[in-house]
Amino acid sequence: MEALLFNVDGGFLEGTVRGYKAGILTQSHYANLTQCESLEDFRTQLSATDYGNFLANEPLPISTATIADKATQILVDQFKYLRNNAVEPLSKFLDYITYAYMIDNVILLITGTLHERDTHELIERCHPLGVFESMPALCVASNVEELFQSVLVETPLAPYFRDCLSASDLDDLNIEIIRNTVYKAYLEDFYAYCGSLGGPTADVMQRILSFEADRRTVNITINSFNTELSKDERARLFPAIGRLFPEGNNQLAKADEIDQVRSVCENVGEYRQFFADAGSSSDEDSGILSQLEDRFFQTEVHLNKMAFLQQFQYGVFYAYMKLKEQEIRNITWIAECIAQNAKDRIQDFIPIF
Amino acid sequence: MSDDYPSLLRSEQMSLVQLFVPTEVAHDAVAELGELGNVQFKDLNPNVNPFQRSFVGEIRRVDEMGRRVRFFSTQIEQEKDVVPIRPLYDSAPLIVVGPRAPQAMDELDVTLAAHEQRLTQMNESYQKLSERTKELIEARHVLRETAVFFDKAHHQTDIRTSFDDSSAPLLQHDDRENQYSVGTGVQFDLEFVAGTIERVRVPTFERVLWRVLRGNLYMNHTDILEPFVDPVTGAETRKNVFIIFAHGDALLAKIRKVAESMGATLYPIDANADKRSESLREVEGRLEDLQNVLYNTGSSRRTELTKIGESLRSWQDVVRKEKLIYETLNLFNFDVRRKTLIAEGWVPTRDITTIQLALRHATSRAPACLPFYMSFTIMDSYGVASYQEVNPGLFAVITFPFLFAVMFGDIGHGFIIFVAALYMILAERKLARVDLGEIMGQFFYGRYIILLMGLFSMYTGLMYNDIFSKSLHIWHSAWDFPSNTTDTKIVGIDNGHRYSFGLDPGWHGADNNLVFVNSYKMKMSVVLGVIHMTFALCLQFPNHLKFKRPIDIYANFIPQMIFLQSIFGYLVICILYKWSVDWSKATTQPPSLLNMLISMFLSPGKVDPSEQLYAGQPFVQVVLLLLAAICVPWLLVTKPYLAWKDMHKIKEQGYVSISGEGDGNGIHRNSSDEVLEGEEEGNGRAIAEDGDDGEHHDFGEVVIHQVIHTIEFCLGCISHTASYLRLWALSLAHAQLSEVLWSMTLEAWLEPTGVFEWIVLIVMGVFWFVLTVFILCLMEGLSAFLHALRLHWVEANSKHFEGGGYAFTPLTFANPDSKE
Repeated sequence: MEALLFNVDGGFLEGTVRGYKAGILTQSHYANLTQCESLEDFRTQLSATDYGNFLANEPLPISTATIADKATQILVDQFKYLRNNAVEPLSKFLDYITYAYMIDNVILLITGTLHERDTHELIERCHPLGVFESMPALCVASNVEELFQSVLVETPLAPYFRDCLSASDLDDLNIEIIRNTVYKAYLEDFYAYCGSLGGPTADVMQRILSFEADRRTVNITINSFNTELSKDERARLFPAIGRLFPEGNNQLAKADEIDQVRSVCENVGEYRQFFADAGSSSDEDSGILSQLEDRFFQTEVHLNKMAFLQQFQYGVFYAYMKLKEQEIRNITWIAECIAQNAKDRIQDFIPIF
Repeated sequence: MSDDYPSLLRSEQMSLVQLFVPTEVAHDAVAELGELGNVQFKDLNPNVNPFQRSFVGEIRRVDEMGRRVRFFSTQIEQEKDVVPIRPLYDSAPLIVVGPRAPQAMDELDVTLAAHEQRLTQMNESYQKLSERTKELIEARHVLRETAVFFDKAHHQTDIRTSFDDSSAPLLQHDDRENQYSVGTGVQFDLEFVAGTIERVRVPTFERVLWRVLRGNLYMNHTDILEPFVDPVTGAETRKNVFIIFAHGDALLAKIRKVAESMGATLYPIDANADKRSESLREVEGRLEDLQNVLYNTGSSRRTELTKIGESLRSWQDVVRKEKLIYETLNLFNFDVRRKTLIAEGWVPTRDITTIQLALRHATSRAPACLPFYMSFTIMDSYGVASYQEVNPGLFAVITFPFLFAVMFGDIGHGFIIFVAALYMILAERKLARVDLGEIMGQFFYGRYIILLMGLFSMYTGLMYNDIFSKSLHIWHSAWDFPSNTTDTKIVGIDNGHRYSFGLDPGWHGADNNLVFVNSYKMKMSVVLGVIHMTFALCLQFPNHLKFKRPIDIYANFIPQMIFLQSIFGYLVICILYKWSVDWSKATTQPPSLLNMLISMFLSPGKVDPSEQLYAGQPFVQVVLLLLAAICVPWLLVTKPYLAWKDMHKIKEQGYVSISGEGDGNGIHRNSSDEVLEGEEEGNGRAIAEDGDDGEHHDFGEVVIHQVIHTIEFCLGCISHTASYLRLWALSLAHAQLSEVLWSMTLEAWLEPTGVFEWIVLIVMGVFWFVLTVFILCLMEGLSAFLHALRLHWVEANSKHFEGGGYAFTPLTFANPDSKE
């Protein structure tokens, strides 16, 4: 059925996004980029790619922040182009993508206000895709209730925040809890929405979102070791979707150390290699964690790449955004390594194609 | 120059030259060659990353200069009043070659940097000043508008005059923040906040405030009429003045926080009317001062820009050239001792002397004789002719419009096209300067060929005797139609005249018109097609001669020719013969030529005597069929066999061949520089031949190529001949369409009697003309164009054209887009 009617509304945009995808940097681009001696070389190299002359008019000492900003700007422009040309249900789907950024922005503002940062500076640091009209007013709020009543109630995020109104005071732990509760609600909602779209979109997106949920579950578990977060509270933060749900989640909620997490993850074939060769050295947790993080990213990239194998579905839009984000992280990393002259770590990015 | 004039038939003779240039003069030499514009340099270090090449530093420096120059030109463009830019031909040339070149570049760099610094400084101060002005203007608005609110709010209260610290430091942001106005509290309890905010944000602002304060506020706002213009981007923003009354410090603090985070600017306003008018005066005074300063800054900035504008063009030119030069230098190779640069490039052989002169740095720069480029690029879009190959584009100049016209034959339509093209040619100078857009630009680009197409269409129209689907009566018709009979069917009587040229108008309107015209056009298209294919086939011959490939002449050209002629050449002769016989007086029935051709294959040697075209027909046909049959194995076997024999000969002599003599499709040439060229093109063959098992590959390739070639040719002959029938089909469709158009619109109204009929006639006439132009001339013309194109690309080019070349793109400073 999708094959018959998908192209009526989505064909042009799918073609566009696949065209964008063709511009994602490849292995050979990265090989060239990592050889750069300075950021000017870096700029010259990037100008041969789809990024084009996006840095051409920057005055010379280029900072890595500028590079990241400009690259993000390109992505945002592309996304806005897609969003402006989209119709239902794709437009709703694209909106869902922006909700994640909105959540990040909200949390960023609340945290910033808590630590009494300058509001304008905070607003500048917000992701442009997650900006909404009344966002600046967030910094007025001092507790969740007020936050919700004054600002969030009119945003699409309102339903997600409803669950965490109980947490009254805003402190670092509570904000973290809010973030995870909200994100859990968002993921579940997005998951349900993709399910309602049905067809290949549901197949592809639910696979990606399941992984996303599992990643959060594992991260929350690991990060809550040795904190004041109780196990009940922890269990409440786990998204009720994903491949670990429900038995895995139940076990993770009771886990006390990283080996238990590993044994849970080993029940799922794809997750088995996350802890594969880190087994012996359980002493240095941080090493495992950073390695785990990298593997999560790799799996995410892999899943998103797989999304492009199927036609007539919206997963490509989500996957493109995620891949591009990863790419921006990569070039920022490389630029940072070049700027700080840390050539030995320059290869630690996650190649996409 | 040279005695040889460039020929259109073949491409220019090229030479591969190697230049050894001392490092210190490399830059000047390339500059010199760039001015000449006829050397195409080869990349000698293709494996080196762009940023690891020798002249990256210079390129980066030039890039930086380019960025500055771009910055200037955007600044000048953004300036509202036009800043004069002196055109390039007017400005003094900047000398960046010769011994003083490095200094000149350094100076230019310094100048540019200085200008940029000055300009940015001025921009900054200008921006700061405009920012302040904007704030003052906003403050003025706030003061004025709030006055209105207050007047409404307490017009009956006693107005007290008191002098507050009226020098409320509007310009010092920090102070103002602290001094947000709180009502004096004497006669007026409510506290308030006033300021400005962007108009688009007002609704959100109001909503958020209402929610934050739970409705405990009174807000009032009015529009500021004039927009605020951002001095840097030139974007317009519209703002509103607001004043919010609320009670309690906590609430006010909240309001201020929300307002600030929403991008509003707050101004201290006194509740006291006198104080307000005082500060209004103050603000206005300051504003006036500031505007003076602003004006001065603006004018000095303008002077700076004008100064830049004077030399901007020459800077742009220098930067562009320098960038090109260094990019070219990057293609060069350093020799071992890094004292000289080695360059390789392709040069038209005729121009070698010029280049040598230029390299000797002769002061007199003899302008290079640029090769004559044709306006006809039809063939180039199919493929650029291989080096020194016969260029079919030359012949297409005539054959293309002719085949087009065969399908488009109509005097009237041809005339319209002709006039349109003539206009474009006459107004060439004017039109060339305007941007015509993509579609019109295409037409304009092809104006000469459109002119020819129009001319030829008029000619074929005369042949078909069609003018807007009507006929011309120029000479006496061969047919008389008796007008006095009462029969419904009138039979024409041959009166012995012969119409001198083209189709007899007597056929027009006759019942059997279509039958006659069909047979005539169909046969004509076959005749034209076979002639065209034969011609295309013949173009092989000069190629084989030129590249010294005698094998190809007798293994390819001759059998192909015999095959084509013995079947289709024969058909053409039969058609012509059949036309020349008066069948009304002959003893036999006119035979169907199609059946004749079919039975020539199916039952060779047998011809039904009642359908015989001429005596001895069976024998002739058997001979021809045998000839054609022989040609197939001839074509198939000869070349592979020769290649095989060659290979053996070489092997017996104990050599291992590097360049196979009998290469498959005959692209390969023997002279050494062509081998080089092959390598340079990086086509896999030349490299494969270096391998040990090159011969086997080669031989297999020859066999496969030849098999494909044979099958393609033999089947192609049949399908291509049939393909030329499109000439008939399209011309028929064209004639019918124009006739339908005529009879549907104009015909019924041609004899007007009253005013109404006249009006209808005029309307219909216009309607008919518009449809004629758009449907018949444009749409039909395009379709005929496409079909003519296909006939050239597929039917004709497949017979001889290799098209494996690439265009010569020399290093040149001539600006590609002349609009700048």
